[in-house]
Amino acid sequence: MSFLSRFRSKPNPRHPVFIRNRDAFLRVAHDTPINEFEFVVFDTELTGLDLRNDEILAIGAVRIRNLQIVAGDIFNSYTAPHRSAVNAQTFIHRITPQQLENAPSLANVLPNFVDYCGQSLLVGHSVGIDIGFINRAAGQLFDGQMTNPCLDTLQLAQTYTEKCWQHYYDRYAHMLYDLDSLSRRYQLPRFARHDALQDAVQTAYLFIFLVKHLQQYGLTTLKDFYHAGQSWRNIF
Amino acid sequence: MTSHVGNPHSVPLEQVTEFLLKTLPFNTLAPSSLQDLAKQCLIDFFPKDTLIFEQDVTTVRHFYLIQQGGVRIFFKNEAGDTTLKDFRGEGEYFGAVPLIQETERANLNVETVEDTFCFLFPKEAFLHLVQTNPAVTNYYLRNMTQKLVNYAYAELRQRKVTPRTESALRLVSVPVGDILKGPAQMIAASASAQQAAIAMHAAHIGSLLVHDDNSRVIGIITDKDLRNKLVARGLDYATPVREIMTSPVQTIPSHHVCFDALLKMMTDHIHHLAVVDQETIAGVITTHDIMVLQGTAPLALFKEIVSRQTIADLYELAPKVPGIIRNLVEEGAKADNIARMITLLNDHLVEKLLTILIAELGPPPVPFCWMYMGSEGRKEQTFITDQDNAIIYRDPVTESEATAAASYFATLGKAAIEHLAACGFPLCPGDIMASNPRWRQPARSWQACFDSWTDSPDPQEIRNATIFFDFRGGFGDQELVETLRDHLARSARQKNIFLFHLAKDCLESRPPISFFRNFIVEKDGEHKNQLDFKKRGLVPFVDFARVLALKHGIKATNTIDRLRLLAEAHHIPNELHKETTAAYEFLMHLRLIHQLQMLENGETPDNFIDPGTLTDLEKQTLKEAFTVVGKMQSFLRQEFHMEQG
Repeated sequence: MSFLSRFRSKPNPRHPVFIRNRDAFLRVAHDTPINEFEFVVFDTELTGLDLRNDEILAIGAVRIRNLQIVAGDIFNSYTAPHRSAVNAQTFIHRITPQQLENAPSLANVLPNFVDYCGQSLLVGHSVGIDIGFINRAAGQLFDGQMTNPCLDTLQLAQTYTEKCWQHYYDRYAHMLYDLDSLSRRYQLPRFARHDALQDAVQTAYLFIFLVKHLQQYGLTTLKDFYHAGQSWRNIF
Repeated sequence: MTSHVGNPHSVPLEQVTEFLLKTLPFNTLAPSSLQDLAKQCLIDFFPKDTLIFEQDVTTVRHFYLIQQGGVRIFFKNEAGDTTLKDFRGEGEYFGAVPLIQETERANLNVETVEDTFCFLFPKEAFLHLVQTNPAVTNYYLRNMTQKLVNYAYAELRQRKVTPRTESALRLVSVPVGDILKGPAQMIAASASAQQAAIAMHAAHIGSLLVHDDNSRVIGIITDKDLRNKLVARGLDYATPVREIMTSPVQTIPSHHVCFDALLKMMTDHIHHLAVVDQETIAGVITTHDIMVLQGTAPLALFKEIVSRQTIADLYELAPKVPGIIRNLVEEGAKADNIARMITLLNDHLVEKLLTILIAELGPPPVPFCWMYMGSEGRKEQTFITDQDNAIIYRDPVTESEATAAASYFATLGKAAIEHLAACGFPLCPGDIMASNPRWRQPARSWQACFDSWTDSPDPQEIRNATIFFDFRGGFGDQELVETLRDHLARSARQKNIFLFHLAKDCLESRPPISFFRNFIVEKDGEHKNQLDFKKRGLVPFVDFARVLALKHGIKATNTIDRLRLLAEAHHIPNELHKETTAAYEFLMHLRLIHQLQMLENGETPDNFIDPGTLTDLEKQTLKEAFTVVGKMQSFLRQEFHMEQG
């Protein structure tokens, strides 16, 4: 994600949480077992996927400690978009204009979210998109960025598929990897509602499912999991 | 759902609260306690075959509630042999025992049988809940708690029987005191019949209580008395009330429910009951008052049975008896009450039938009594089952009397059986019916018959004969049956070998240990998708009550009566009495509803239940009931000094 590099060179973010964030992840102990890390599984609601024009409408997140979802430690907030013209897209996300009316601005929400994440690693489904939007805003608003290492459940799912079906390469090429399809395939508890928090929780279920199954295949350290996702991509 | 920025911890996850809201016993919690609990939840995942608890090794720090998936719970002894204890699935739990008993270490092994998600609650949160919520405490102490059972009944009624009427429950819930229309209307015993009629007419009522000079209630005078005893006999209108009243007046305590009043009226063939409140008569209730309360069906049927004049008339009535079951279920009556009602109606039917038969055949050469065996003998009949009946008659004195009796009762027995079959009571495949000469005997032969069973017991023969030990007198000379019962009650208690065999039979049946999904899990881990409700569920309770009743000389035949009498005489602990009664009533009720559904779907009622059709709560309650079977068996083992087996 080359757009990130623009911000990476900025030496002094304008908000203390981003300074703390930068310092926290200068060095990450990649050889530490994965269960010793804390994670924040998050999801955003966006007005669209265009990084230049679209905006964040909501951020939902839940924490994972000891590879257990901490149900009482959640983050959930709507954010008022800059462009007040909230179009039909919003209804797809089941966010009504009323919900956004009194929502705080992203400038208020973002530092709180960064603070909530603290030293946790980030997890998301296609996490690159979400962190891209967050860091674009962080750059514009605070000259900062979130440097937390990210794990992508989509990549973990591909790795898991590979491990399960080592002899059936031809079979998994056609599989769907969206959150709903994966949750159905792995028969995870599923939740009817789709807002940022619900999707974050659904992703958290997927995450602990995948991590614990991959542990059975011998993956142990953060590095193992990080590289697992990469190596899969090299197959194609 | 919005949790405000800066205060992200204020709302627990909806997924957790929603799950708790549909899971016992958490759904009984106050909303605030539930929210507090949900906030402390950790959600964990265990792939298939993960050993979550290792017996004596794992330190238990959390209470585990299964959100999805399933676990196998097993015990390992020192030799390394494992015993399966349970399978648990969604909405069920583990870890409660070590937390409550503060043993720290797991008392059993818990292993996932499939990918499993659990909600974990910290020890402190769970213990706080147990200490502050009696409902939760009771639940985890795994008793057949009344609370749980009540939930289950309510659910059964709601789910399985769609009420056709709005005022359900009134018959079984409204105390008779509440339907009294006003104070009892009285008349002096010395007043004239005409004065009584004038007073009744003026008050628009059909009865007056009669008091003596000391204002003591000594009887009741009704429309019927005026008609039958005065007008029909052509007596003078000045005849004192005292001479035509019905005395004594039948009473019922004011706190008894209307259903009890109905039973009493039907049993005694009366239309009026005086309601007694703290030893004074508060008023009079009539059959009409009860009918207003929905109880029309049983009463109407009862009246029809009484009014029919020919046997052929009865044929069409008998099949209507099960029809009233639905009404009673809707009104919230428990299976035990319903069975007593059915018994009453069937008894009246048989009585009517035999009365007509005897009118045709002429009087019997010696007094006799019709006997019911098996479930009819225990007053536990619901839907029509096979006939189990017999005849006992007074010992003939002379040879000719013996011949006459044998031939008379042969005719009577055979005719009665055929008519009953025509009424819809199927013939007994085991031929335990009054048409079989073996079950149509003089009193002394019956005594000898029971003596031979109890003296030199052949295990197989005893097994076949158990239903005879539940005999009950029906139409005829009750004294004959009472004498036989007295004899058995006296003799059986000393027949140790006989009792031992009966008790041993009780231990043969292994209760299923659990349900898992739509299967029953047997002790050996085998899964089955059908449960023989009668054999596995009800029979162990019946057998238990029977063997102990025989051992302790208790003459009652009804299982619930037997259990109560056993407890009253301290032959079984109170706790066991409560549990067995609650479990047995629940099982009876569940079977009744099941059979009612089958009947309404046009199927023949049977005793097989597919666990897949049961709700979680029903499964849970059934599982508790099976635990009670285990407790009864341990009790019998101790009582009869049998080896652990």
